[in-house]
Amino acid sequence: MKFQLDAYASLNTLLHRWEPRCKIIALMALIFAFSFVSDLRLLPAMIVVTTILFAASRLPFSFLLHRLRLPVYFLLIMAVFLPLFSGETVLVQAGPVAVKEEGCLQLLVITVRFFCILTVGIILFGTTPFLNTIKALRSLGLPFVLADMTFFSYRYLYEIGDDLKTMERAMKLRGFKGRNLGAMKTLASLAGTILVRSYEQSDRVYKAMSLRGYGQPACFRDEVKVNSRDWIGLLIVILVAAAFVGFEIVLYSPGG
Amino acid sequence: MHIPDGILPAAVCLGGYVTAGAATWYSLRKIGRKEDPREGIPKASLLTAAFFVASWIHIPVPPTSVHLVLNGLLGVVLGCYAFPAILIGLFFQAVMFQHGGLTTLGVNATIMGVPALLAYYLFQLRNIFGKDSRVGTGLFGFLAGAGGLGLAAVLACVVLITTIPAHVDVETERAGIYALTLAHVPLMVIEGIFTALVVLFLQRVKPALLEGNREISA
Repeated sequence: MKFQLDAYASLNTLLHRWEPRCKIIALMALIFAFSFVSDLRLLPAMIVVTTILFAASRLPFSFLLHRLRLPVYFLLIMAVFLPLFSGETVLVQAGPVAVKEEGCLQLLVITVRFFCILTVGIILFGTTPFLNTIKALRSLGLPFVLADMTFFSYRYLYEIGDDLKTMERAMKLRGFKGRNLGAMKTLASLAGTILVRSYEQSDRVYKAMSLRGYGQPACFRDEVKVNSRDWIGLLIVILVAAAFVGFEIVLYSPGG
Repeated sequence: MHIPDGILPAAVCLGGYVTAGAATWYSLRKIGRKEDPREGIPKASLLTAAFFVASWIHIPVPPTSVHLVLNGLLGVVLGCYAFPAILIGLFFQAVMFQHGGLTTLGVNATIMGVPALLAYYLFQLRNIFGKDSRVGTGLFGFLAGAGGLGLAAVLACVVLITTIPAHVDVETERAGIYALTLAHVPLMVIEGIFTALVVLFLQRVKPALLEGNREISA
């Protein structure tokens, strides 16, 4: 299994050692506080807090850049749309095309929020092994159906992905080119085969797991203790998140 | 169609979590009524992973290629497990590939998951033609696939255009929604045809997979 997300989860920093439940509550509160911010004056503070957290996590910058690559495309669409269609105050005009001030400012807010939230999310999931994160979510009240489905899906995701690659390679070796819409029937059979194979495999998995006691109450407790440092960390981040929300309410006025 | 973090106002993100929470509660209540709710979990989970992987298949649409959403097909096969499956799939996409987002997880799950549940109920109408009818299965497979994507596209466009640009006038908003929805029509047709072809394949090879949540827990 190639758990790319866990590549740097075994480093030894304060953030890595932070108890997962406290970390989830604290950083999710911070993420939602960031999403609440609309006032331009709070953006530098958001960048500072995010930078401090990222530096403390000691995650490589390349790891962050690699993960930001995909969502940036969506931001580029917004970068074209907002300055042209949102607002009334014209900054630059070239024929019928006008760049509006309100749209540019809105784009700035969205861009900073986007990068800060994504970075904190990457810190949250990049500093804890994914399975520990799900265990922590379970003990925070995530229903067992969702927790178990997340575990199982995660376990078999890459395996089924490898199956797909093998089948696609086999199709190419048999001369399949798939360059026009006529290939759709073959590709539908490929998708159907993936579903059928997974369905049949799940039968074997369920039987094997039942034999190992799946569904029976656990006879051991796997609890991680929360120490005072975890609580202090939680308190500090919650206070920072609350400060962002408080300042936003005090400072922000919709007119600008 | 996956709205990233930072784009939507916090109130909309929280509203998304409320609607996703309600849809999850509805699905879990239906799953909880089964004799052994754990029994269907491995099947639904592996199929969730399989759908996630199947959405990586690129369909050639010269001169380019598109990848499909498959939320309608997911609804058809997973029934009441469809919403949790979409929630989990979007969670994976958000944390592994930064596609979508954590604050927008509820909004995205609602946009994709509610049409998936509706696609499931729509596909059940194939029984009007008889369960073994290839015409009924193909037709309602097409409608479930195209309808699932179409409704998701409309929801996504409405959420995006009505919540982001505070200074866009109503006429521009309406034109934007129409334009973006119309742009999805060719994709709806492709998604519908692909879904119809997959359900016809499943009817021939493994009809149990088309029994929705009934067979998943069998």
